[in-house]
Amino acid sequence: MVQLRSLLFLVASFASCLYAKSSTGDSVLVIVEPSKQDNYSLFFNGLKDQGYELTFRAPKSEGPLVIEYDVPNFAHVIVLASETKNLGKDVTPQSLVELLGKKTNIILALSTKQTPLTSLAAEFSLTLPPPGTPLVSYFPERKELPQIIPVSVQPNAIVSSSINPVWFSGVPHAIGNNPMIVPILRAPVESFASETDGGSADALVDASERGGEGLWAGSQLGLVTGFQTLDNSRITFVGGAEVFSDEFVTKEISKGVPSGNAEFVRDVAAWTFQETNVYRIDSTSHHLVNATKPLEQYTNNDNIVFTADISKYDPKTSTWAPYSGLKDLQLEFTMLDPHIRTALLSVSGKPGKYSVTFRAPDRHGVFKFAINYKRKGYEHQIPCLKDLLTSNDLCSLTYLESSTTVPVVPPRHDGYPRFLSAAWPYYTGAISTSLGFFLFSALWLAGDSREKKIKGHKAE
Amino acid sequence: MAPKTSSPPASTNVVHTLWKAYNEQTSDRLKFVDAFLFFLMLSGIAQFLYCVLVTDYPFNAFLAGFSSTVGQFVLTASLRSQVNPENRNEFKEVSPERAFGDFVLGSIVLHFFVYNFLG
Repeated sequence: MVQLRSLLFLVASFASCLYAKSSTGDSVLVIVEPSKQDNYSLFFNGLKDQGYELTFRAPKSEGPLVIEYDVPNFAHVIVLASETKNLGKDVTPQSLVELLGKKTNIILALSTKQTPLTSLAAEFSLTLPPPGTPLVSYFPERKELPQIIPVSVQPNAIVSSSINPVWFSGVPHAIGNNPMIVPILRAPVESFASETDGGSADALVDASERGGEGLWAGSQLGLVTGFQTLDNSRITFVGGAEVFSDEFVTKEISKGVPSGNAEFVRDVAAWTFQETNVYRIDSTSHHLVNATKPLEQYTNNDNIVFTADISKYDPKTSTWAPYSGLKDLQLEFTMLDPHIRTALLSVSGKPGKYSVTFRAPDRHGVFKFAINYKRKGYEHQIPCLKDLLTSNDLCSLTYLESSTTVPVVPPRHDGYPRFLSAAWPYYTGAISTSLGFFLFSALWLAGDSREKKIKGHKAE
Repeated sequence: MAPKTSSPPASTNVVHTLWKAYNEQTSDRLKFVDAFLFFLMLSGIAQFLYCVLVTDYPFNAFLAGFSSTVGQFVLTASLRSQVNPENRNEFKEVSPERAFGDFVLGSIVLHFFVYNFLG
Protein backbone atom coordinates (compact mmCIF):
# COMPACT_ATOMS: atom_id res chain seq x y z
CA MET A 1 0.00 0.00 0.00
CA VAL A 2 2.77 2.35 0.95
CA GLN A 3 4.75 1.25 -2.08
CA LEU A 4 1.81 1.90 -4.34
CA ARG A 5 1.39 5.36 -2.91
CA SER A 6 5.06 6.17 -3.39
CA LEU A 7 4.93 4.82 -6.92
CA LEU A 8 1.92 6.99 -7.66
CA PHE A 9 3.78 9.96 -6.25
CA LEU A 10 6.71 9.18 -8.52
CA VAL A 11 4.50 8.95 -11.55
CA ALA A 12 2.85 12.20 -10.60
CA SER A 13 6.23 13.88 -10.17
CA PHE A 14 7.34 12.71 -13.59
CA ALA A 15 4.12 13.93 -15.11
CA SER A 16 4.45 17.28 -13.45
CA CYS A 17 7.93 17.67 -14.86
CA LEU A 18 6.83 19.54 -17.92
CA TYR A 19 8.14 18.84 -21.34
CA ALA A 20 11.46 20.69 -21.25
CA LYS A 21 13.95 20.61 -24.06
CA SER A 22 17.59 21.48 -24.24
CA SER A 23 18.76 24.53 -26.15
CA THR A 24 21.60 22.75 -27.89
CA GLY A 25 20.08 19.51 -29.15
CA ASP A 26 18.19 16.42 -28.17
CA SER A 27 20.49 13.53 -29.07
CA VAL A 28 22.04 11.83 -26.06
CA LEU A 29 24.55 9.02 -26.05
CA VAL A 30 24.44 6.84 -22.96
CA ILE A 31 27.44 4.62 -22.29
CA VAL A 32 26.28 1.98 -19.86
CA GLU A 33 26.74 -1.75 -19.35
CA PRO A 34 23.87 -3.49 -21.17
CA SER A 35 23.25 -5.70 -18.16
CA LYS A 36 22.82 -2.65 -15.93
CA GLN A 37 20.80 -0.63 -18.38
CA ASP A 38 17.48 -1.63 -16.86
CA ASN A 39 18.65 -0.44 -13.46
CA TYR A 40 18.28 3.13 -14.66
CA SER A 41 15.02 2.72 -16.52
CA LEU A 42 13.14 5.38 -14.58
CA PHE A 43 15.82 7.96 -15.31
CA PHE A 44 16.02 7.11 -19.00
CA ASN A 45 12.27 7.08 -19.39
CA GLY A 46 12.13 10.46 -17.74
CA LEU A 47 14.61 11.81 -20.27
CA LYS A 48 12.71 10.28 -23.14
CA ASP A 49 9.48 11.83 -21.90
CA GLN A 50 11.16 15.19 -21.93
CA GLY A 51 11.97 14.81 -25.57
CA TYR A 52 15.51 13.54 -25.65
CA GLU A 53 16.54 10.76 -28.03
CA LEU A 54 18.70 8.28 -26.22
CA THR A 55 21.21 6.05 -27.95
CA PHE A 56 22.72 3.29 -25.86
CA ARG A 57 26.21 1.96 -26.25
CA ALA A 58 28.04 -0.75 -24.40
CA PRO A 59 31.36 0.34 -22.93
CA LYS A 60 33.52 -2.02 -24.95
CA SER A 61 31.77 -1.60 -28.27
CA GLU A 62 33.16 0.51 -31.06
CA GLY A 63 30.07 2.35 -32.18
CA PRO A 64 28.17 4.61 -32.43
CA LEU A 65 31.17 6.92 -32.45
CA VAL A 66 31.07 9.89 -30.17
CA ILE A 67 32.98 12.14 -32.53
CA GLU A 68 33.60 11.59 -36.19
CA TYR A 69 35.77 13.71 -38.48
CA ASP A 70 35.98 16.41 -35.83
CA VAL A 71 32.20 16.74 -35.64
CA PRO A 72 30.42 15.48 -32.54
CA ASN A 73 27.63 13.05 -33.28
CA PHE A 74 25.59 13.74 -30.18
CA ALA A 75 24.61 16.87 -28.31
CA HIS A 76 25.06 15.27 -24.89
CA VAL A 77 26.85 12.26 -23.45
CA ILE A 78 26.13 10.35 -20.25
CA VAL A 79 28.81 7.94 -19.06
CA LEU A 80 27.37 5.63 -16.44
CA ALA A 81 29.86 2.81 -16.93
CA SER A 82 32.06 3.98 -14.13
CA GLU A 83 33.86 0.73 -13.43
CA THR A 84 35.15 -0.06 -16.91
CA LYS A 85 38.75 0.80 -17.55
CA ASN A 86 38.60 0.82 -21.33
CA LEU A 87 35.72 2.64 -22.82
CA GLY A 88 36.56 2.26 -26.46
CA LYS A 89 39.09 4.03 -28.60
CA ASP A 90 37.05 7.16 -29.10
CA VAL A 91 36.05 7.71 -25.47
CA THR A 92 39.26 8.79 -23.79
CA PRO A 93 39.82 11.69 -21.46
CA GLN A 94 41.33 13.64 -24.34
CA SER A 95 38.35 13.01 -26.58
CA LEU A 96 35.95 14.01 -23.82
CA VAL A 97 37.80 17.29 -23.42
CA GLU A 98 37.65 17.75 -27.16
CA LEU A 99 33.92 17.15 -27.03
CA LEU A 100 33.56 19.85 -24.41
CA GLY A 101 35.43 22.17 -26.69
CA LYS A 102 32.86 21.41 -29.37
CA LYS A 103 30.01 22.36 -27.05
CA THR A 104 28.87 18.88 -26.06
CA ASN A 105 27.64 18.45 -22.50
CA ILE A 106 28.65 15.45 -20.40
CA ILE A 107 27.44 13.71 -17.27
CA LEU A 108 30.19 11.53 -15.89
CA ALA A 109 29.81 8.96 -13.12
CA LEU A 110 32.83 8.07 -11.02
CA SER A 111 33.51 5.04 -8.89
CA THR A 112 35.90 3.70 -6.32
CA LYS A 113 37.92 1.97 -9.04
CA GLN A 114 40.69 3.97 -10.63
CA THR A 115 39.95 4.53 -14.31
CA PRO A 116 41.26 7.10 -16.78
CA LEU A 117 38.19 9.15 -15.92
CA THR A 118 39.56 9.59 -12.42
CA SER A 119 42.50 11.49 -13.82
CA LEU A 120 40.10 13.49 -15.98
CA ALA A 121 38.36 14.76 -12.85
CA ALA A 122 41.70 15.98 -11.55
CA GLU A 123 42.04 18.14 -14.65
CA PHE A 124 38.91 19.96 -13.56
CA SER A 125 40.35 20.70 -10.08
CA LEU A 126 38.41 17.88 -8.43
CA THR A 127 40.65 15.61 -6.39
CA LEU A 128 39.47 12.06 -5.77
CA PRO A 129 40.46 10.07 -2.69
CA PRO A 130 42.69 7.00 -3.02
CA PRO A 131 41.07 4.08 -4.89
CA GLY A 132 38.82 1.83 -2.87
CA THR A 133 37.67 4.50 -0.40
CA PRO A 134 33.99 5.22 -0.87
CA LEU A 135 32.02 7.67 1.22
CA VAL A 136 30.87 6.19 4.52
CA SER A 137 28.56 7.59 7.15
CA TYR A 138 27.17 6.04 10.30
CA PHE A 139 24.51 8.73 10.75
CA PRO A 140 21.51 8.73 10.59
CA GLU A 141 20.87 5.33 11.99
CA ARG A 142 19.46 3.13 9.28
CA LYS A 143 19.30 -0.46 8.22
CA GLU A 144 21.26 0.07 5.00
CA LEU A 145 25.01 -0.35 4.72
CA PRO A 146 27.16 2.57 5.84
CA GLN A 147 28.12 3.26 2.22
CA ILE A 148 24.53 4.02 1.25
CA ILE A 149 23.95 7.46 2.64
CA PRO A 150 20.93 9.75 2.63
CA VAL A 151 22.25 13.20 1.81
CA SER A 152 20.14 16.24 2.50
CA VAL A 153 20.20 18.65 -0.36
CA GLN A 154 21.37 22.14 0.48
CA PRO A 155 19.28 24.57 -1.51
CA ASN A 156 21.17 26.06 -4.39
CA ALA A 157 20.20 27.48 -7.67
CA ILE A 158 20.52 24.28 -9.72
CA VAL A 159 18.38 22.04 -7.55
CA SER A 160 14.85 23.04 -6.63
CA SER A 161 14.64 24.27 -3.12
CA SER A 162 12.44 21.68 -1.50
CA ILE A 163 13.89 18.33 -2.44
CA ASN A 164 13.83 15.36 -0.09
CA PRO A 165 17.14 13.85 0.93
CA VAL A 166 18.91 11.96 -1.81
CA TRP A 167 20.35 8.45 -1.56
CA PHE A 168 24.01 8.38 -2.51
CA SER A 169 26.65 5.70 -2.81
CA GLY A 170 30.06 6.37 -4.28
CA VAL A 171 33.18 8.46 -3.89
CA PRO A 172 33.45 12.05 -2.73
CA HIS A 173 35.87 14.52 -4.22
CA ALA A 174 37.66 17.57 -2.92
CA ILE A 175 36.67 20.72 -4.76
CA GLY A 176 39.54 22.86 -5.96
CA ASN A 177 39.81 26.58 -6.29
CA ASN A 178 38.40 27.18 -9.72
CA PRO A 179 35.75 29.81 -10.40
CA MET A 180 34.19 27.68 -13.13
CA ILE A 181 33.26 24.92 -10.68
CA VAL A 182 29.62 24.73 -9.62
CA PRO A 183 29.06 22.54 -6.52
CA ILE A 184 25.67 20.85 -6.69
CA LEU A 185 25.64 18.37 -3.81
CA ARG A 186 27.97 18.34 -0.86
CA ALA A 187 28.69 15.46 1.51
CA PRO A 188 26.94 15.42 4.88
CA VAL A 189 28.90 16.70 7.81
CA GLU A 190 29.25 13.32 9.50
CA SER A 191 30.54 11.44 6.48
CA PHE A 192 34.05 10.45 5.57
CA ALA A 193 35.87 8.41 2.95
CA SER A 194 37.37 5.17 4.12
CA GLU A 195 38.06 1.63 2.92
CA THR A 196 35.02 -0.40 3.71
CA ASP A 197 36.65 -3.78 3.14
CA GLY A 198 39.88 -4.32 4.92
CA GLY A 199 39.92 -0.98 6.60
CA SER A 200 40.18 -0.91 10.34
CA ALA A 201 39.33 1.59 13.00
CA ASP A 202 43.03 2.09 13.78
CA ALA A 203 43.77 3.16 10.23
CA LEU A 204 40.99 5.70 10.54
CA VAL A 205 42.42 7.10 13.75
CA ASP A 206 45.87 7.31 12.16
CA ALA A 207 44.49 9.15 9.20
CA SER A 208 42.64 11.65 11.34
CA GLU A 209 45.73 12.33 13.43
CA ARG A 210 47.81 12.95 10.36
CA GLY A 211 45.58 15.79 9.41
CA GLY A 212 45.66 17.59 6.08
CA GLU A 213 45.07 15.09 3.31
CA GLY A 214 44.89 12.23 5.78
CA LEU A 215 41.15 12.19 6.38
CA TRP A 216 38.56 12.91 3.73
CA ALA A 217 35.56 14.04 5.73
CA GLY A 218 32.87 16.61 6.19
CA SER A 219 30.81 18.90 4.06
CA GLN A 220 33.83 20.34 2.29
CA LEU A 221 33.69 17.25 0.08
CA GLY A 222 31.54 17.39 -2.98
CA LEU A 223 29.47 14.51 -4.28
CA VAL A 224 27.96 15.96 -7.43
CA THR A 225 29.85 18.87 -8.98
CA GLY A 226 29.39 20.71 -12.23
CA PHE A 227 31.89 22.63 -14.32
CA GLN A 228 31.13 25.18 -17.01
CA THR A 229 33.86 25.55 -19.60
CA LEU A 230 34.75 28.73 -21.45
CA ASP A 231 32.90 27.37 -24.49
CA ASN A 232 29.81 27.26 -22.29
CA SER A 233 29.58 23.47 -22.36
CA ARG A 234 28.82 21.87 -19.03
CA ILE A 235 30.18 18.70 -17.46
CA THR A 236 28.90 17.19 -14.24
CA PHE A 237 30.90 14.73 -12.18
CA VAL A 238 28.66 12.42 -10.13
CA GLY A 239 30.37 10.47 -7.38
CA GLY A 240 28.45 7.27 -8.03
CA ALA A 241 26.16 5.99 -10.76
CA GLU A 242 23.69 4.63 -8.22
CA VAL A 243 22.23 8.08 -7.73
CA PHE A 244 20.41 7.52 -11.04
CA SER A 245 19.36 3.95 -10.29
CA ASP A 246 15.78 2.83 -9.90
CA GLU A 247 16.58 1.25 -6.58
CA PHE A 248 17.55 4.58 -5.06
CA VAL A 249 14.71 6.41 -6.73
CA THR A 250 12.13 4.12 -5.21
CA LYS A 251 13.80 3.65 -1.82
CA GLU A 252 12.18 5.64 0.92
CA ILE A 253 14.17 7.95 3.15
CA SER A 254 11.95 7.22 6.10
CA LYS A 255 8.41 6.05 6.57
CA GLY A 256 6.26 7.71 3.96
CA VAL A 257 8.98 10.07 2.75
CA PRO A 258 10.17 9.16 -0.73
CA SER A 259 13.71 9.95 -1.77
CA GLY A 260 14.45 13.04 -3.79
CA ASN A 261 16.58 11.18 -6.33
CA ALA A 262 14.10 11.51 -9.18
CA GLU A 263 13.85 15.28 -8.96
CA PHE A 264 17.54 15.60 -8.20
CA VAL A 265 18.76 13.79 -11.29
CA ARG A 266 16.20 15.62 -13.41
CA ASP A 267 17.50 19.00 -12.18
CA VAL A 268 21.10 17.92 -12.70
CA ALA A 269 20.32 16.82 -16.23
CA ALA A 270 18.42 20.05 -16.85
CA TRP A 271 21.43 22.18 -15.92
CA THR A 272 24.00 20.00 -17.66
CA PHE A 273 22.03 19.70 -20.88
CA GLN A 274 21.68 23.47 -21.24
CA GLU A 275 18.05 23.85 -20.34
CA THR A 276 18.37 26.24 -17.44
CA ASN A 277 20.51 29.34 -16.97
CA VAL A 278 21.26 29.64 -20.65
CA TYR A 279 21.66 33.12 -22.09
CA ARG A 280 22.97 34.45 -25.33
CA ILE A 281 23.76 37.77 -26.97
CA ASP A 282 21.52 38.04 -30.01
CA SER A 283 23.15 41.08 -31.57
CA THR A 284 25.17 44.15 -30.81
CA SER A 285 25.24 47.48 -32.58
CA HIS A 286 26.93 50.83 -32.22
CA HIS A 287 26.37 54.27 -33.71
CA LEU A 288 26.76 57.98 -32.97
CA VAL A 289 24.25 59.55 -30.66
CA ASN A 290 21.96 61.12 -33.22
CA ALA A 291 22.41 58.55 -35.96
CA THR A 292 21.24 55.02 -36.58
CA LYS A 293 23.79 53.50 -38.92
CA PRO A 294 27.11 52.26 -37.58
CA LEU A 295 30.15 54.14 -38.82
CA GLU A 296 33.27 52.54 -40.17
CA GLN A 297 35.39 54.72 -37.96
CA TYR A 298 34.80 57.14 -35.14
CA THR A 299 36.67 60.31 -34.14
CA ASN A 300 38.20 61.21 -30.80
CA ASN A 301 35.65 62.37 -28.23
CA ASP A 302 32.66 61.17 -30.23
CA ASN A 303 29.52 60.32 -28.26
CA ILE A 304 28.82 56.70 -29.12
CA VAL A 305 25.75 54.60 -28.29
CA PHE A 306 26.25 50.85 -27.88
CA THR A 307 23.31 48.46 -27.79
CA ALA A 308 23.16 44.75 -27.04
CA ASP A 309 20.20 42.39 -27.27
CA ILE A 310 20.24 39.50 -24.83
CA SER A 311 17.80 36.66 -24.58
CA LYS A 312 17.34 33.72 -22.27
CA TYR A 313 16.30 30.21 -23.16
CA ASP A 314 12.96 29.11 -21.80
CA PRO A 315 12.98 25.31 -21.56
CA LYS A 316 9.23 25.02 -21.16
CA THR A 317 8.51 26.57 -24.54
CA SER A 318 11.87 25.81 -26.17
CA THR A 319 12.21 29.40 -27.30
CA TRP A 320 14.62 32.23 -26.68
CA ALA A 321 12.86 35.13 -24.97
CA PRO A 322 14.38 38.61 -24.53
CA TYR A 323 15.63 39.00 -20.98
CA SER A 324 16.14 42.30 -19.20
CA GLY A 325 17.07 40.99 -15.79
CA LEU A 326 20.87 41.23 -15.95
CA LYS A 327 21.77 43.97 -13.50
CA ASP A 328 25.55 44.12 -13.69
CA LEU A 329 26.35 43.87 -17.37
CA GLN A 330 29.47 45.83 -18.31
CA LEU A 331 30.84 47.22 -21.53
CA GLU A 332 34.55 47.79 -22.00
CA PHE A 333 35.97 50.03 -24.71
CA THR A 334 39.40 48.52 -24.97
CA MET A 335 42.68 49.20 -26.71
CA LEU A 336 45.12 46.89 -24.92
CA ASP A 337 43.54 48.11 -21.66
CA PRO A 338 39.96 49.14 -21.14
CA HIS A 339 39.87 52.90 -21.56
CA ILE A 340 36.18 52.97 -20.71
CA ARG A 341 34.43 50.45 -18.49
CA THR A 342 30.80 51.32 -17.95
CA ALA A 343 27.57 49.67 -16.91
CA LEU A 344 25.35 48.42 -19.70
CA LEU A 345 21.88 49.13 -18.41
CA SER A 346 18.63 47.67 -19.62
CA VAL A 347 16.37 50.00 -21.55
CA SER A 348 12.97 50.23 -19.86
CA GLY A 349 10.18 49.48 -22.26
CA LYS A 350 12.28 47.37 -24.60
CA PRO A 351 12.71 43.84 -23.29
CA GLY A 352 16.13 42.37 -23.82
CA LYS A 353 17.77 45.62 -24.93
CA TYR A 354 20.75 46.99 -23.04
CA SER A 355 22.24 50.30 -24.04
CA VAL A 356 24.80 52.85 -22.91
CA THR A 357 26.05 56.21 -24.25
CA PHE A 358 29.63 57.18 -23.62
CA ARG A 359 32.28 59.55 -24.96
CA ALA A 360 35.08 57.90 -26.90
CA PRO A 361 38.44 58.60 -25.27
CA ASP A 362 40.76 61.36 -26.42
CA ARG A 363 43.08 58.75 -27.90
CA HIS A 364 43.06 57.49 -31.45
CA GLY A 365 43.68 53.86 -32.26
CA VAL A 366 41.86 50.62 -32.86
CA PHE A 367 39.41 49.93 -30.03
CA LYS A 368 36.97 47.16 -29.45
CA PHE A 369 33.60 47.06 -27.75
CA ALA A 370 34.00 44.09 -25.40
CA ILE A 371 31.36 42.36 -23.32
CA ASN A 372 32.86 39.78 -20.98
CA TYR A 373 30.19 38.61 -18.58
CA LYS A 374 31.02 35.63 -16.38
CA ARG A 375 28.79 35.37 -13.38
CA LYS A 376 27.28 32.91 -10.98
CA GLY A 377 23.66 33.71 -10.45
CA TYR A 378 20.36 32.64 -9.06
CA GLU A 379 17.94 30.80 -11.30
CA HIS A 380 15.09 31.04 -8.80
CA GLN A 381 14.96 33.74 -6.17
CA ILE A 382 15.14 32.11 -2.73
CA PRO A 383 14.88 35.10 -0.41
CA CYS A 384 14.59 33.44 2.99
CA LEU A 385 17.36 30.95 2.38
CA LYS A 386 19.90 33.37 0.97
CA ASP A 387 21.95 33.50 4.14
CA LEU A 388 22.33 29.74 4.16
CA LEU A 389 24.01 29.79 0.81
CA THR A 390 27.75 30.16 0.63
CA SER A 391 29.07 32.23 -2.20
CA ASN A 392 30.24 29.11 -4.00
CA ASP A 393 26.91 27.37 -4.15
CA LEU A 394 25.50 29.28 -7.07
CA CYS A 395 25.07 27.93 -10.55
CA SER A 396 26.79 29.55 -13.47
CA LEU A 397 25.08 31.68 -16.04
CA THR A 398 26.23 31.14 -19.57
CA TYR A 399 29.32 33.21 -20.18
CA LEU A 400 28.44 36.10 -22.47
CA GLU A 401 31.29 37.27 -24.65
CA SER A 402 31.28 39.65 -27.58
CA SER A 403 33.87 41.87 -29.17
CA THR A 404 33.49 44.35 -32.05
CA THR A 405 36.55 46.15 -33.40
CA VAL A 406 36.29 49.76 -34.51
CA PRO A 407 38.95 52.35 -35.43
CA VAL A 408 38.99 55.74 -33.75
CA VAL A 409 40.79 58.39 -35.78
CA PRO A 410 42.02 61.84 -34.76
CA PRO A 411 39.93 64.80 -35.96
CA ARG A 412 40.48 66.05 -39.50
CA HIS A 413 42.31 69.33 -39.92
CA ASP A 414 38.99 71.13 -40.02
CA GLY A 415 37.44 69.07 -37.23
CA TYR A 416 38.82 71.24 -34.47
CA PRO A 417 36.88 74.16 -32.96
CA ARG A 418 37.58 77.43 -34.75
CA PHE A 419 37.87 79.68 -31.73
CA LEU A 420 39.12 78.40 -28.41
CA SER A 421 37.18 79.55 -25.39
CA ALA A 422 40.37 79.71 -23.33
CA ALA A 423 41.83 82.33 -25.62
CA TRP A 424 39.11 84.96 -25.37
CA PRO A 425 41.20 87.35 -23.21
CA TYR A 426 43.82 87.38 -25.95
CA TYR A 427 41.21 87.88 -28.66
CA THR A 428 39.75 90.85 -26.77
CA GLY A 429 43.24 92.22 -26.13
CA ALA A 430 44.21 92.19 -29.79
CA ILE A 431 40.83 93.54 -30.93
CA SER A 432 40.85 96.29 -28.30
CA THR A 433 44.36 97.30 -29.39
CA SER A 434 43.22 97.58 -32.99
CA LEU A 435 40.10 99.51 -32.06
CA GLY A 436 42.13 101.77 -29.80
CA PHE A 437 44.56 102.42 -32.63
CA PHE A 438 41.77 103.35 -35.05
CA LEU A 439 40.05 105.60 -32.52
CA PHE A 440 43.36 107.22 -31.61
CA SER A 441 44.34 107.97 -35.17
CA ALA A 442 40.84 109.29 -35.99
CA LEU A 443 40.88 111.60 -32.99
CA TRP A 444 44.47 112.63 -33.69
CA LEU A 445 43.62 113.67 -37.25
CA ALA A 446 40.48 115.47 -36.03
CA GLY A 447 42.59 117.32 -33.49
CA ASP A 448 45.12 118.11 -36.22
CA SER A 449 42.51 119.69 -38.48
CA ARG A 450 41.10 121.73 -35.59
CA GLU A 451 44.55 123.03 -34.72
CA LYS A 452 45.16 123.96 -38.34
CA LYS A 453 41.87 125.87 -38.41
CA ILE A 454 42.81 127.75 -35.25
CA LYS A 455 46.27 128.53 -36.64
CA GLY A 456 44.72 129.63 -39.87
CA HIS A 457 42.35 131.94 -37.97
CA LYS A 458 45.24 133.31 -35.97
CA ALA A 459 47.34 133.92 -39.05
CA GLU A 460 44.59 136.03 -40.56
CA MET B 1 67.02 115.55 18.66
CA ALA B 2 67.10 114.96 15.00
CA PRO B 3 64.58 116.93 13.06
CA LYS B 4 61.52 114.93 12.30
CA THR B 5 61.76 113.79 8.69
CA SER B 6 58.39 113.93 7.12
CA SER B 7 58.98 110.91 4.80
CA PRO B 8 55.40 109.69 4.23
CA PRO B 9 54.15 113.16 3.61
CA ALA B 10 57.31 113.81 1.60
CA SER B 11 56.71 110.88 -0.76
CA THR B 12 53.11 111.84 -1.36
CA ASN B 13 54.34 115.36 -1.73
CA VAL B 14 56.77 114.26 -4.43
CA VAL B 15 54.13 112.31 -6.35
CA HIS B 16 51.69 115.17 -5.96
CA THR B 17 54.22 117.66 -7.26
CA LEU B 18 55.08 115.39 -10.18
CA TRP B 19 51.47 114.95 -11.09
CA LYS B 20 50.76 118.68 -10.86
CA ALA B 21 53.77 119.51 -13.00
CA TYR B 22 52.79 116.89 -15.56
CA ASN B 23 49.24 118.18 -15.72
CA GLU B 24 50.29 121.79 -16.20
CA GLN B 25 53.22 121.35 -18.49
CA THR B 26 52.10 118.77 -21.03
CA SER B 27 49.95 119.79 -23.93
CA ASP B 28 46.59 118.20 -24.56
CA ARG B 29 47.76 116.21 -27.56
CA LEU B 30 50.58 114.65 -25.60
CA LYS B 31 48.19 113.85 -22.75
CA PHE B 32 45.96 112.14 -25.27
CA VAL B 33 48.89 110.02 -26.48
CA ASP B 34 49.79 109.24 -22.88
CA ALA B 35 46.24 108.08 -22.21
CA PHE B 36 46.47 105.68 -25.13
CA LEU B 37 49.84 104.46 -23.87
CA PHE B 38 48.37 103.86 -20.41
CA PHE B 39 45.47 101.88 -21.87
CA LEU B 40 47.87 99.72 -23.89
CA MET B 41 49.96 99.05 -20.78
CA LEU B 42 46.88 97.96 -18.81
CA SER B 43 45.77 95.65 -21.58
CA GLY B 44 49.23 94.08 -21.79
CA ILE B 45 49.44 93.58 -18.03
CA ALA B 46 45.98 92.01 -17.97
CA GLN B 47 46.87 89.49 -20.67
CA PHE B 48 50.16 88.66 -19.01
CA LEU B 49 48.47 88.07 -15.66
CA TYR B 50 45.88 85.81 -17.30
CA CYS B 51 48.62 83.79 -18.94
CA VAL B 52 50.62 83.39 -15.73
CA LEU B 53 47.75 82.77 -13.31
CA VAL B 54 45.12 80.90 -15.28
CA THR B 55 46.56 79.14 -18.30
CA ASP B 56 48.85 79.69 -21.22
CA TYR B 57 46.96 77.14 -23.23
CA PRO B 58 46.78 78.71 -26.67
CA PHE B 59 50.29 80.06 -26.30
CA ASN B 60 50.25 81.48 -29.81
CA ALA B 61 47.19 83.51 -28.87
CA PHE B 62 48.99 84.87 -25.82
CA LEU B 63 52.00 85.85 -27.87
CA ALA B 64 49.85 87.53 -30.48
CA GLY B 65 47.75 89.49 -27.99
CA PHE B 66 50.66 90.50 -25.82
CA SER B 67 52.90 91.50 -28.66
CA SER B 68 50.01 93.46 -30.15
CA THR B 69 49.90 95.67 -27.07
CA VAL B 70 53.67 95.88 -26.71
CA GLY B 71 54.24 96.67 -30.37
CA GLN B 72 51.50 99.26 -30.42
CA PHE B 73 52.99 100.79 -27.24
CA VAL B 74 56.41 101.07 -28.88
CA LEU B 75 55.00 102.66 -32.01
CA THR B 76 52.89 105.12 -30.02
CA ALA B 77 55.81 106.00 -27.76
CA SER B 78 57.99 106.74 -30.75
CA LEU B 79 55.18 108.86 -32.25
CA ARG B 80 55.00 110.81 -29.00
CA SER B 81 58.71 111.49 -28.91
CA GLN B 82 58.80 112.55 -32.57
CA VAL B 83 55.80 114.82 -32.25
CA ASN B 84 56.82 116.51 -28.98
CA PRO B 85 57.79 120.11 -29.81
CA GLU B 86 60.54 119.98 -27.16
CA ASN B 87 62.36 117.37 -29.25
CA ARG B 88 62.39 119.48 -32.43
CA ASN B 89 66.20 119.56 -32.40
CA GLU B 90 66.47 115.75 -32.42
CA PHE B 91 64.08 115.19 -35.27
CA LYS B 92 64.85 117.88 -37.83
CA GLU B 93 64.15 115.72 -40.88
CA VAL B 94 60.96 114.22 -39.51
CA SER B 95 57.87 116.34 -39.60
CA PRO B 96 54.97 115.46 -37.30
CA GLU B 97 52.94 114.37 -40.31
CA ARG B 98 55.70 112.03 -41.43
CA ALA B 99 55.92 110.64 -37.89
CA PHE B 100 52.21 109.98 -37.85
CA GLY B 101 52.39 108.35 -41.27
CA ASP B 102 55.14 106.02 -40.06
CA PHE B 103 53.08 105.24 -37.00
CA VAL B 104 50.01 104.30 -39.01
CA LEU B 105 52.00 102.16 -41.46
CA GLY B 106 53.84 100.35 -38.69
CA SER B 107 50.61 99.75 -36.80
CA ILE B 108 48.87 98.26 -39.81
CA VAL B 109 51.75 95.88 -40.45
CA LEU B 110 51.76 94.99 -36.75
CA HIS B 111 48.05 94.21 -36.72
CA PHE B 112 48.37 92.08 -39.85
CA PHE B 113 50.98 89.94 -38.15
CA VAL B 114 48.99 89.82 -34.91
CA TYR B 115 45.80 88.54 -36.52
CA ASN B 116 47.73 86.00 -38.52
CA PHE B 117 49.34 84.59 -35.43
CA LEU B 118 46.27 84.86 -33.23
CA GLY B 119 44.70 81.78 -34.83
